[in-house]
Amino acid sequence: MKRKAFFLIVLFMSMTVLSGCWSRKELTDLAFVIAVGLDKTKDGRYMATFQVVNPGNVAGATQRGGGSGGVPITLYKATGDNLVEASRKGSQKISRLIYYAHTNLIVIGEEMAKEGIGPLFDAMERNPQFRTTAIVVIARHRTAEEMLKILTPIDKLPANQMIKTLQFTEKTWGQNISVHVGEVINDLTSEGKEPVISGFRLVGGVQEGERQTNVQESEPDARLSADDLAILKDGKLVGWISGKAARGVLWGLDKIEQTVITIDWKHKQEAIAYKVVRAKTSVSADMKKGKPVVSVHIGAEGDIGEALVPLDFSDPQEIFALEKKIQKEIRQEIIKAIERAQQEKSDIFGFGEALHRSDPQEWKKIKADWNDTYFPQLEVKVSVDASIRRTGLRNKPYMFGR
Amino acid sequence: MEQTKINARQLFVLIVLFEHGSTMVIPLGGEAKQDVWLAILIGMIIGLLLFLVYYRLYLYYPDLPLTGYIQDITGPIFGKIFALVYVLYFLYLVARVLRDFGELLLTFAYPETPLFVLNAIMMLTVMYAVYKGIEVLARTGELFFTLLYVLAISGMILVVAAKLIDIHRLQPVLEEGWRRVFKVVFHQTLYIPFGEIIVFTMLFPYINNPKKTKIVALSAMTLSGINLAIMMTVNVAVLGADAVSRSTFPLLNTIREIQVANFLERLDVFFMIALIIGGFFKIGVFFYAAVIGAAHLFNVKEHHRLVYPLGLASLLLSIAVASNFPEHVKEGVNIATVYIHMPLQIILPVLLLAIAWIRQRM
Amino acid sequence: MLFQWGLRKKQPANSATTKEQEQSGQAKDVPNGSLDTIVNVNIDIVQRTTGNSSDIVIRRFTIGEENPIHAAIVFTDGLVDEKIIYNFLLESLMTVNIPSSFSPKDLFLFIEQKLAAVGGVKHVQQWFDVFSSLLSGQTIIFIDGIPTALSASTKGGEYRSIEEPSTQLAIRGPREGFTESLRTNTAMIRRRIKNPNLWLETMKIGEVTQTDVGIMYIKGIANDEIVEEVKKRLRSIHIDSVFESGYIEQLIEDQTFTLFPTTYHTERPDVVAANLVEGRVAVIVDGTPFVLLAPAVFIQFFQAVEDYYARFDIATALRFLRVLIFFISLVAPAVYISATTFHQEMIPTPLVIAIAAQREAVPFPAFVEALIMEVTFEILREAGVRLPRAVGQAVSIVGALVIGQSAVEAGIVSSAMVIIVSITAIASFATPSFAIAISARLIRFLLMFLAAMFGFYGVIIGLLLMTIHLCSLRSFGVPYMSPLAPFIPANAGDTIFRVPTWAFKERPRLINQANIIRQGENQRPQPPDETNNE
Repeated sequence: MKRKAFFLIVLFMSMTVLSGCWSRKELTDLAFVIAVGLDKTKDGRYMATFQVVNPGNVAGATQRGGGSGGVPITLYKATGDNLVEASRKGSQKISRLIYYAHTNLIVIGEEMAKEGIGPLFDAMERNPQFRTTAIVVIARHRTAEEMLKILTPIDKLPANQMIKTLQFTEKTWGQNISVHVGEVINDLTSEGKEPVISGFRLVGGVQEGERQTNVQESEPDARLSADDLAILKDGKLVGWISGKAARGVLWGLDKIEQTVITIDWKHKQEAIAYKVVRAKTSVSADMKKGKPVVSVHIGAEGDIGEALVPLDFSDPQEIFALEKKIQKEIRQEIIKAIERAQQEKSDIFGFGEALHRSDPQEWKKIKADWNDTYFPQLEVKVSVDASIRRTGLRNKPYMFGR
Repeated sequence: MEQTKINARQLFVLIVLFEHGSTMVIPLGGEAKQDVWLAILIGMIIGLLLFLVYYRLYLYYPDLPLTGYIQDITGPIFGKIFALVYVLYFLYLVARVLRDFGELLLTFAYPETPLFVLNAIMMLTVMYAVYKGIEVLARTGELFFTLLYVLAISGMILVVAAKLIDIHRLQPVLEEGWRRVFKVVFHQTLYIPFGEIIVFTMLFPYINNPKKTKIVALSAMTLSGINLAIMMTVNVAVLGADAVSRSTFPLLNTIREIQVANFLERLDVFFMIALIIGGFFKIGVFFYAAVIGAAHLFNVKEHHRLVYPLGLASLLLSIAVASNFPEHVKEGVNIATVYIHMPLQIILPVLLLAIAWIRQRM
Repeated sequence: MLFQWGLRKKQPANSATTKEQEQSGQAKDVPNGSLDTIVNVNIDIVQRTTGNSSDIVIRRFTIGEENPIHAAIVFTDGLVDEKIIYNFLLESLMTVNIPSSFSPKDLFLFIEQKLAAVGGVKHVQQWFDVFSSLLSGQTIIFIDGIPTALSASTKGGEYRSIEEPSTQLAIRGPREGFTESLRTNTAMIRRRIKNPNLWLETMKIGEVTQTDVGIMYIKGIANDEIVEEVKKRLRSIHIDSVFESGYIEQLIEDQTFTLFPTTYHTERPDVVAANLVEGRVAVIVDGTPFVLLAPAVFIQFFQAVEDYYARFDIATALRFLRVLIFFISLVAPAVYISATTFHQEMIPTPLVIAIAAQREAVPFPAFVEALIMEVTFEILREAGVRLPRAVGQAVSIVGALVIGQSAVEAGIVSSAMVIIVSITAIASFATPSFAIAISARLIRFLLMFLAAMFGFYGVIIGLLLMTIHLCSLRSFGVPYMSPLAPFIPANAGDTIFRVPTWAFKERPRLINQANIIRQGENQRPQPPDETNNE
């Protein structure tokens, strides 16, 4: 009995001591890659750009470490035939272990996106370090590397700046969409839905943007802003969709939370702003006489945000007329978006999925030709039900009397 | 043989923990895509029928474990051989689950650590518990049962709060018809985890209130089946059927998706706790069955004398059972089900019951 | 070597006759056999045996005028109440007038029946008994011509008075705590349970020290098997000395190789009384204010006495808090180590960057950092406990500077680590029972090692092993984790929950099996019936 206990203890001790902490990694040995940029080089290889955090220089993080002079991020580049190779090669230049667990942003260069992003995500999905909740964006007109160079004010980490910009604009304006890696992969594998990814634009020059002086100005020379939506087909970027049509895409995807719709009123352009506070889109698909028919119904609730014309909101008739106008406006937005997508022959709305759910047997027959044959000629019925709930603190604008 | 007894509640808890075991982290029935819940529930119902077979046998021999009455039914020579087969089967299952467990842990958190070390630590913990006896295992179960439920419920709340569930992902139901569902049932969900309930035939003699055994075991299996179905359904609703069938641990992916209030995120530790607790009880019950089976077979008075040798053997077996993870999975799904689980979980018990029944009549 | 001197071999401790016949440490110089008839011889023996110790007071005198009989009283100065001796023994003995016809035997009976105006008077004939009663504060009266002495109970002397207990303080609840006197302590319990079924049995333990040990239980509520078990274990103790209940505790535990206490100790009479009513057995040791209670269960160490005095909602909330506290004091550093050295992916990004920034300049691995800080803290704590109060303040100031500020400023440790260590420290002070806080202290270091080697896997396995161990423990046959595991629904209301007092229907089932019901039906307070009032 005692001998056995002794034996057990020896076994346990030797195992723990010999084990010597294989998977241990100290914080000071890690390079936290907060964003990854992906481009293609001219000879067709991958170029990965790593935006690595300098923890000591992130303001507010510490009182020590000379936060004054340094920049919060450092960029490293590496090329390789595949992503894993590029990533490992990067270690030649970084004094620490490249660590992806906090990579929250993937930036894809526009050129790269045009060639196809299909195979990019396997490494990310496979690596347990990597999170599939990382947001994906496409660098408009630029390479990903250039985008990642820019230093930003307010949110010191450029990656955070981009992510938060995207999330808040999606929430309040609704012309951009934040999609994460998992969603993109799901869309890529699905036959009835194509991915749509937000673009990011660089305003100003890279030269100015990469310097610390950029964030010391009240109006930085180089800035990043969310811009347009990329339509992908078979994993390749085929076109951009912008403005109200972009919002139409979000309406279609049921991603609108809040936004503002401006409508014309009695010859005055853009006279009334309608703030959407709640919206719900439901999509249903059916086969009718061998042809797929999709109907989209949107329900929106909101308040009046601004009125530049004399209008008495206390009159239910006026409200009713206004609602009609708003419905028309929203309807136009989504129809514009659908037309644009049909033009690119890419079902970014997932109408195919809807059909798949409602009629799996028919779907099987047509799914191979869906994007190229059926979707472009798809009949989509759009109905909108918008209602004005409140009018704010005033019921008549002060211009009313005049 | 141990003289201790466990009560009905403890049996219930042990069965639930055992059935969840390592199954809750793997893509159980993922091949059935959106219909995974059907595959699990049907597997459960057939599993319940199987249990009734085992229970009938137990009623014939209420004081003997499986390895005991098998000798009585088939005679001393065949009986000894069959009993040995069952002991080896349980040991093999210990090794299999241990390997599963080690591989999962290795892939997701400890890529640089040797498999042997991870397995050895787990096995030592199991050996300690089994050395202390079934009572201790059952009591530990009672405590962790609560913990696991707290985790599951809070996890569920978080998944809902993070607005991850998309019911559309569960449609269309029965896209490929019943065939795909039944294929999954008879290749996986029936045997793992429901058919594995056969291991409890080794524990039935220890129950202090035998009248309740049937209802307790049936309700525990039903609860587990429903839980597992819910869990896999949530996985599908969050990740999509395709991603579930492709991933090694759908539950981990689901947990990783959770982002609530910018702070409740990266909750992988939930997964880890569930994995370790589930693995522990599954391995523990199998190992206990193997140990008392062997003690019964070889007339060893104190069963815990066998804990060390059998523990080391199954530890080594867990390393040797396959050379890589895909091979291990292939072995588990294609070979083990047809050549090991089916004969030992279904065919042999049914034959035993038939013989016992005929004898009773004569 | 003291131990060997005091040790006697294989014999019951409380049997005086066998003690006398055999050679033993204490009785080495105590003469065998019984008293002599001549007082002077007896006095001589007393003096010789005690080595003329100055605190053994011997007063010789004669009784009677005409036919004086020699007598003497012997007592130990400081252990007796001198007033009693002077007023009720010496005075009456010396002034009494007795008929000359009195033989010594008559005198002896006369003294016993009429003169000795004290509570307890016993005959002693054996030297062993003479010395044991003499040294526990009795006064011995020798009378010439009789081979028997009278032992009068005159116990007294200086004791610490009843004060507020220094551990287990309560805001609401009785203010008195046990003292070092066994009798005072038993009285305090009696005062709370005025029931003839409250039985007290005493025995002497300690071959050299002959310490009084009392076993208290309520007959009919306490489980007889457990009472017998406690007595059996106490009887089998053969050590030379017992100075504190800790000695007894360590000898009657079910299992020695465990980090958890399997008996409960307390300084509060109300706690003891409440536990006696629940069916537990109290072991009271003379010379210490700490009373042992057995059997103990794990959850008991998280229950403060105030839980029962406060209303149930706040009591339940506080119990949850205490379990949380225990958990924090157990795992906080281990979790920090695992999270920062193995599982950086599990920390939210802003937090991990903040911690990384702090650790940039720290030259040690996280484990070493944590170890340094934890050991520093333990040193400070130990210093704080042992030092005189006046110096203690200086220690805490230096400590605060050392671990709080300078270490961080010098870049040796990170401020996150200081926060973790402080939380751990405060948590370990906040644990209601010191005994369980010590367990947490040791396990904390084990978990830190496991965390440094395997991260969360190590920590979870460590906690799993701890739970298995806890489930395997028993205290006097009662499973240590009951009523949680095995789960007993009727008793689960008083675990990490505390249901309203009117719902305490049953006593703990595993502790007493016979007399379970503890309160009447419908104890729930009801508002007066409105309709009747009108």
